[in-house]
Amino acid sequence: MKVRHHGSPLLWGGVAVSFLLACSSIECPVQTTVALNYGVYCRDASGAEVVDTLADTLYIWTRRKDGRDTLLMNRGVGLSSFSTTLSYNHPEDTIIMFVTDTFQTWTLDTVWLKKTDIPHFESVDCSAHFFHQLDAVRSTHYGIDTIMIDNPSVTYDTTPTHLRIFFKNRY
Amino acid sequence: MTPLQRICASSSRIVISLLLLLASTTTYAQGFLKWEADTVPLFRGFAVSGDLAGLLQLQLSDYGQYEAALKLNLHDQYFPIVEVGYGKAHHKEDEVTGISYRTQAPYYRLGCDVNLLKQKHTDNRVFVGLRYAFTSYKVDISCRPFVDPFWLWDTSFGVKDEACSQHWAEVVFGIDASVMGPIHLGWTVRYRKRLAHHDGQMGKTWYVPGYGIQESSRIGYTFNLSIDI
Repeated sequence: MKVRHHGSPLLWGGVAVSFLLACSSIECPVQTTVALNYGVYCRDASGAEVVDTLADTLYIWTRRKDGRDTLLMNRGVGLSSFSTTLSYNHPEDTIIMFVTDTFQTWTLDTVWLKKTDIPHFESVDCSAHFFHQLDAVRSTHYGIDTIMIDNPSVTYDTTPTHLRIFFKNRY
Repeated sequence: MTPLQRICASSSRIVISLLLLLASTTTYAQGFLKWEADTVPLFRGFAVSGDLAGLLQLQLSDYGQYEAALKLNLHDQYFPIVEVGYGKAHHKEDEVTGISYRTQAPYYRLGCDVNLLKQKHTDNRVFVGLRYAFTSYKVDISCRPFVDPFWLWDTSFGVKDEACSQHWAEVVFGIDASVMGPIHLGWTVRYRKRLAHHDGQMGKTWYVPGYGIQESSRIGYTFNLSIDI
């Protein structure tokens, strides 16, 4: 019956363990940016797609619900890739791309991006976020030659290129 | 990892190490699985128990569980056990994030404990065990409507009756001490490992019945009141 003498301390040990294990913590992901990544591409002499650098200056903006324009990117220079935000819960985003050079020659294109919005839950302690599945993209073609979906899944992962964009040769 | 998380993790490791050390000094682990040859019969009865920690947790926080267990006593050495519980969580509109979470569902654990004491035919036990656990549950997740901060579109967020499930395993260490006649008090500390889970279309769930809060419930505990039958 030696253990009978240990019973009480062990029981109190259990209570102590309960208190220690009662620590709580908030575990939200550190990286919660959900951004649409564009890659700037061109075709080389053999027709293969290679990463390009946009020599001129790029401005991107969009129109919000209240009808006012808002800037998504200001004075992007020498870009091989860039990112913009997506609306949380709207089936199609309209984006305006304005490219200008040092001679004040410019082009203005509109990009329409259809997507499916997927609510993403981590914990009650973490803010609401939306992931997106890109369904279709189209644009005008004043300065943009081609725009296509490369990776349709837009999540916390910031590494993939979601859209490939080819500007016309003069850029 | 935040300082609070480090403290919690370190404290848990230290306490578990001390308990294992204590267990090793109060038992003779060599050959504890050997069948003790004596005249005591194989079947020694049943014990029913309830978890007081889960009940207290349910009263003090917005999640917790009711849990009862039926344990078979084989020769005071092996204890096949069935644990059945009902887990509940109702987190109403978080002050910061505005997210509400609700679920309630039964869960089941099946396993066996082994008495580590050299003298097994006493009223007290120090044991280790294994459990397989399963729950199938539905969650309601909602967020108060908000405006997309950049685009200003009205935004809503949530699912209702989203079907989810989880399988997990537990390694159990605990003690059980006789306090009066057939009445025992004891506690267990459990290390949990998820085996498989389906969290629905929202990506993750928060409280899982019987398992606790996802991500932070690797270590769990129960405080049991049991009666020998």
